[in-house]
Amino acid sequence: MIYLQGIKKSFNQLPVLKGINLKIEKGEVVTILGPSGSGKTTLLRCLNFLEKPNAGIVQIGNIIVDSEKATKKEMLAIRKQSAMVFQHYNLFAHKTVVENVMEGLIVAKKVKKKDARHQSERVLEKVGLSDKLHHYPSQLSGGQQQRVGIARALALNPEVILFDEPTSALDPELVGDVLSVIKSIAQEGITMVVVTHEMSFAREVSNRVLFMDEGVIVEEGTPLEIFHAAKEERTRRFLQRISGESFFTPLKEQVN
Amino acid sequence: MGKAFDLMLIIEFIPTLIQYLGITLQILAASIILGLVLGIAAAIPRLYKIPILNQLVILYVSFIRGTPILIQLFLVFYGLPAILLLLFSIDITRMEAIYFVIITYAISNGAGFSEIFRAAIRAVDYGQTEAAFSVGMTSRQNFFRIVLPQAVRIAFPNMANSVIGSLKDTSLAFTIGVMDMMGRGDTLIAATAHALEVYLSLSIIYYIIVVMFEKIFSKLEKYFNRYQKADVTAVA
Amino acid sequence: MTIDIPFIWIAFKEIIKALPITLILTIVPLLAGFLIGIGVALVRIYKMKFLYRIANGYVSFFRGTPIIMHIMVIYFGFPLLLDQLSLRFDLGIQTNKIPIILFVLIALTLAAGSYLSEIIRSGIISVSNGQMEAAYSVGMTKFQAMNRIILPQALAQSIPNFTNIFVGFLHTSSIAFLVSQKEVTGAANIVASVNLKFLEAFIAAGIIYWGITILVEGISFLLEKKVTAYNRGGVS
Repeated sequence: MIYLQGIKKSFNQLPVLKGINLKIEKGEVVTILGPSGSGKTTLLRCLNFLEKPNAGIVQIGNIIVDSEKATKKEMLAIRKQSAMVFQHYNLFAHKTVVENVMEGLIVAKKVKKKDARHQSERVLEKVGLSDKLHHYPSQLSGGQQQRVGIARALALNPEVILFDEPTSALDPELVGDVLSVIKSIAQEGITMVVVTHEMSFAREVSNRVLFMDEGVIVEEGTPLEIFHAAKEERTRRFLQRISGESFFTPLKEQVN
Repeated sequence: MGKAFDLMLIIEFIPTLIQYLGITLQILAASIILGLVLGIAAAIPRLYKIPILNQLVILYVSFIRGTPILIQLFLVFYGLPAILLLLFSIDITRMEAIYFVIITYAISNGAGFSEIFRAAIRAVDYGQTEAAFSVGMTSRQNFFRIVLPQAVRIAFPNMANSVIGSLKDTSLAFTIGVMDMMGRGDTLIAATAHALEVYLSLSIIYYIIVVMFEKIFSKLEKYFNRYQKADVTAVA
Repeated sequence: MTIDIPFIWIAFKEIIKALPITLILTIVPLLAGFLIGIGVALVRIYKMKFLYRIANGYVSFFRGTPIIMHIMVIYFGFPLLLDQLSLRFDLGIQTNKIPIILFVLIALTLAAGSYLSEIIRSGIISVSNGQMEAAYSVGMTKFQAMNRIILPQALAQSIPNFTNIFVGFLHTSSIAFLVSQKEVTGAANIVASVNLKFLEAFIAAGIIYWGITILVEGISFLLEKKVTAYNRGGVS
């Protein structure tokens, strides 16, 4: 279970998160939508203290941290409860695919090297990369790299996996592969928080959708409620614009 | 070895030593100007792959990169008179030591500069040349109007480092008897037996000059980069 | 004055016996300086209180002054300091029994530390911030992330810079002859003065330095290819 209370964060006196309260049940898949600059990525990064909130309480599993007096030890404990999949993959550039997945197991979970290798190979099989174990990230396509990123998170068997726009750096034809891997994980009952622009993903996979704007959660509900019966004007306008954009993208590409 | 350490002497020596800074700067300026000429001349055969000359330049650069400046200094000091005498019967054994130093440092700088120029010109995106051709420029117009100005910007930080390195290297000129700051320091040591204080004074002078050069160069670099987007470097 | 070509070979055979001392004067300071360099780089990157001011000053001063100053100041200053300490605490150290090479090694180590710290620091900065975040995201501590993720990449990327420093210090070790060390340049000087064949002796010394430089650059090239294999794209 994840519990956030009164999370506030500012950059150079500019408030980005204005007091976020949120509760996520075990096994829930939560999608966060919102225009750029709405604070959705910052919120995700506050969950594992890649950004330290200025105020508020973060709880993941049985670790509770008051961010105002968070110690290094507490931040580390929170991070060990979670894992993250990054927009730009952030695979360890000097390690092979299987070493990337093993790294967290060996260092953070203190798993024996041999066991870590077995576990990693199993997870990599799940994401369809058994044939790339000893490749370096630079030898993989973006889609393959992101699947390694997912495997690296999955192998740690965390309370929650945080996805930060996992498909937005990918070429359009590679998005499908990665999304289907994320979908299959979602069906296994792992708690996930996903920041994304993929509306179809939000609609089909998540149990709950949050719409954020200007540092607050404007509206939340089931995908059905948000996509077909949004109460807030801001939400409706955003969804309209997004669908409009996707309508115009092919045209824009032709012009370029 | 020497007399008791006297902190005040460090300050007292500075005015005496700094009178000879002019010689140091003369060596530096002359060797850099000659080095620039030599560097450009050496970069051309490399860029245009002129046979024989290209190989000769490679050898020249490799030798300079491969030997200490001190050895180069001795080779010029003892070798140049021998060669000139042998080939042209010109006797320069009475030439002042400072000229040997300038020649050595010019040869040394020339090798370094030629590599810097070459790398900088290569580093300019070929798309720039294509764009220049596309608007109807000739090769020469492209080189002088488009490629060179951008290459200068790329080369500048390395040039600045070279100049500062060269400035520090001038401290070895005294080994063949040049009366620069170091040479004067030597005579001061002979006269006062306060070697440590003399070297500390010299260190302070060199440090101040180097810092001044660094400040000037960083100002110039900002000027050259004025049309570049600020580089975003995330310091951990 | 003519050039005695056969004597170059005789001198070469004599001078190369001094190569081990040149290599000691190169490798020991670089190894010891590497440890200083890592420490200083981390202090500066993490802006540790007070320490980082000292580190900044150390790097700036040693990089801003000629290395001959470091050698001379330590050569003259260290014995003075030790004598004072010995007198005050009755340690009974006889500074005139300390081999001079030790002072040279200390001076070169301090210089190497300042240069290496800059290389390591820029190597660390060049590793993208995302690598650090990914390390945190799998539950590593700052130390584990630095040790396992950031430093290995930073050091691998810095190999060309390390090579330059190695060659630079190989050449810099020639300054040690000024405090009567019998390394390659010192040995060349002796061979030259005894036989009154200066040019030939320094040619021989030049060839030795040149050869070692080419060798080191070749090894570094192969090493770099191996160590940064992870950086090259293309499915193998």
